[in-house]
Amino acid sequence: MELFDHILLGFSVALGLKNLGLCLLGCLIGTLIGVLPGVGPVATISMLLPITFGIDPVGALIMLAGIYYGAQYGGSTTAILVNIPGEATSVVTALDGFQMARQGRAGAALGIAAIGSFIAGTFATVLIALLAVPMARLALLFKPADYFALMVLGLMLAVVLARGSVPKALAMILAGVLLSTVGRDLETGEERLTFGWGEIDDGIDFAVIAMGVFGFAEILRNLATPEARDVVRGQIGRLLPSWAEFRQSLMPILRGTGLGSFLGILPGNGAVLAPFASYSVEKKLADDPARFGQGAIEGVAGPESANNAGAQTAFIPLLTLGIPPNAVMALMVGAMTIHNLVPGPEIMTKQPRLFWGMIASMWIGNLMLVVINLPMIGLWVRLLKVPYRLLFPTIVLFCCIGIYSVNNNPVDVYLTAAFALLGYVLILLEFEPAPMLLGFVLGRLLEEKLRQALAISQGSLWTFWDHRIAAVMLALAALAIVVVALPRIRRGREQAFVE
Amino acid sequence: MTGHAARAAVRVPRDLAAGIFLVVLALGAWLATTDLAMTEGGGQPGPGLVPRSVALLLGGFGMLVAALGLFDRDTRIAGLAWRGPIFVLGSVVAFAASIRTLGLAFAGPIAVLVSALADREQRLGEIVPYALVLTALCVGLFKYVLRLPIPLAPLVLGY
Repeated sequence: MELFDHILLGFSVALGLKNLGLCLLGCLIGTLIGVLPGVGPVATISMLLPITFGIDPVGALIMLAGIYYGAQYGGSTTAILVNIPGEATSVVTALDGFQMARQGRAGAALGIAAIGSFIAGTFATVLIALLAVPMARLALLFKPADYFALMVLGLMLAVVLARGSVPKALAMILAGVLLSTVGRDLETGEERLTFGWGEIDDGIDFAVIAMGVFGFAEILRNLATPEARDVVRGQIGRLLPSWAEFRQSLMPILRGTGLGSFLGILPGNGAVLAPFASYSVEKKLADDPARFGQGAIEGVAGPESANNAGAQTAFIPLLTLGIPPNAVMALMVGAMTIHNLVPGPEIMTKQPRLFWGMIASMWIGNLMLVVINLPMIGLWVRLLKVPYRLLFPTIVLFCCIGIYSVNNNPVDVYLTAAFALLGYVLILLEFEPAPMLLGFVLGRLLEEKLRQALAISQGSLWTFWDHRIAAVMLALAALAIVVVALPRIRRGREQAFVE
Repeated sequence: MTGHAARAAVRVPRDLAAGIFLVVLALGAWLATTDLAMTEGGGQPGPGLVPRSVALLLGGFGMLVAALGLFDRDTRIAGLAWRGPIFVLGSVVAFAASIRTLGLAFAGPIAVLVSALADREQRLGEIVPYALVLTALCVGLFKYVLRLPIPLAPLVLGY
């Protein structure tokens, strides 16, 4: 049984003492970040990239993945206890979670969130292991034209399934692609958009853009809108939900897991979208929908499972097709590039230890999070009392050191400041920066495949018609945009995100 | 009179401004890539193909966003807060300027203290010791545990 061998290999890598330690470290840092409101996973991962320079690629990716799903766990803790979602993925959790906390049932809410997340994480890990081989095989059949079309489809779906204005998000993707063309042309060596400045001959560093637009610009946004924290003072209550509560939550957990796994594979931020979807499904199915918003445990169990499942299955398109479906996965591409790894279908065959080790460590990480986080809840609550006025200078310093360490070059730090300014302008004009990062990360591959496809066809655009896979995917991409432009759907989409 | 005009300038409809911003960006990219060929002999794609077509599309979307913005004149740009950007970006620039010459031992506290000014409610007795402790922690972590080649204090220590 091939799958069984793969999983065994994975566990033999992930259970090594060093990798186990890195996984634990990643989960702890992730939880810390998730708990602190105003520090998102994208900023954190870009901030901590330099820490992973000295670690081997397997360990580095295990740790970064740990930060990522640790942040999902931590985010729900803040949502339940403070009524501020620590992460965008736990917005919905705050609705019923905080109500439960006010009724003295914080422990049950935290417990069911952790249990649901663990079940979802386990399922998603198995799903990744099952889908990885066939998906990678499929990807190897793709010609350049098909690959190009697949990336276009991915980007379009990422826009349609995310919140905010569609034309503005498309413009951000284009801006990202444009940024990716800065530097020497790979084929002709001509300088492009460098304005004669030698420092950006090799292109703009990924970390510079990510940290500028996400790390610093996020701080500027937080400083402009002061938040009020309202930590629950009462009893947290017992951490394990009662048997009745668990029975009530089981089906929502399973439904949330299914929804989340599916939405996570699709481009767009499945982990953000899935909890919304799960919440409305549970509300519709409930015998008494009025309980929702008053501390219904299903309103915590479903969405929490959904966001964790979505966060995990987002690795599938990254690891098998080399296409990051959201901004965090785009960062993983950046991290892999720094370690000279090219994400895509070959990674599984060329780096089986890395691939399966990472998958096994996801499950181990999920287990660690349940075991560690619940008993440590008191510590996390105390962390919530660290004021933002001390937190943001800390982030600034970490980002500065991180950026400088990428190439040991102060010019990168100046450039990051420039991108932070750009990020602030984008925030003022209400552009979402995530599509720009996706466009930037995919830009080079997109251009490479487009030029390969057109070189084969000698410049004829009909090649996208002749390759039937490409034609179908481009048609789907166009359809997605047209559908979302229809007035009825548009209103529905806006409502889905408001609730 | 001038004060009134200045306030009106910020009160441009948000999406109109967003669209114009995109058009300016696209125009700049288009003009900066005029020397790059979109196609080479035999219809082969050239180095200018992607940047130039993306610039065109970006300009198109800019006009679309601006046009949609004309229908929604009520959504204005939220007030410009200058304090955050000036001190946070200033601290980053100060760090970049001092890391090579003064080293992390000085660039660290400089970055923390300058950025801290972005918050009005900062307390001097709290932030100064915090900046020093944080820098010491960062030196320990990055310089000694992770062994990154960051200059510590070149003028004093020579490394």
